[in-house]
Amino acid sequence: MKKKDYNDTMTFVSMVAEKQNWELNRDSEHLEIIINGLTKNYNRYGYFSCPCRDGSGIKEKDMDIICPCDYCRPDQEEYGHCYCGLYLTKKFYSSGEEPGSIPERRKS
Amino acid sequence: MENIEFINEKGARSIGEVKVYALSTCAFCKKALKFLRENSINFMYIYVDDMEPDDKQALKKKLKERYKKDVGFPFMVINDDRVIVGFLEKEYKKLLTEEGA
Repeated sequence: MKKKDYNDTMTFVSMVAEKQNWELNRDSEHLEIIINGLTKNYNRYGYFSCPCRDGSGIKEKDMDIICPCDYCRPDQEEYGHCYCGLYLTKKFYSSGEEPGSIPERRKS
Repeated sequence: MENIEFINEKGARSIGEVKVYALSTCAFCKKALKFLRENSINFMYIYVDDMEPDDKQALKKKLKERYKKDVGFPFMVINDDRVIVGFLEKEYKKLLTEEGA
């Protein structure tokens, strides 16, 4: 498996955001941690496992938390952003509000 | 949970035993740790995602059973009793007003 670096992951999330008509978190420190986290997860698991959840390392078990995760849209509908605070709706982004921790939708 | 090797962070303020179960990849976990450091709170933490798979599965199971909470991160336990799941800044700020802080 070819390793990914920070720029590869940034390109990935930027493409996702553009395609889905979402915005990325404007907080550069927050964004950097997530991009580094996604990169670390890709390089140890082989897929972009959500950096804010503890993945199993087994792709079949983690399909629902591969970025963008299955819970992204419902979280955006309720809170304006995904669980990680990475992908924001245009409306939430325009509000200038900062994403915060939200309840976990995934059953543990 | 007894054999976990936490990393200790010495701070000037003590609010009792503060344990943070965090992920090395998570922005809200990093913010939580930063908050505790900036407010000089004495605490210890571990990056759960860096543990061996079997160990971390056992840990998460124990945390859920012991504290009756779904495990999300950061998972902070104060004095083996009070639990805050997620970086809830208002709850964290309350810690600063706790006795002994």
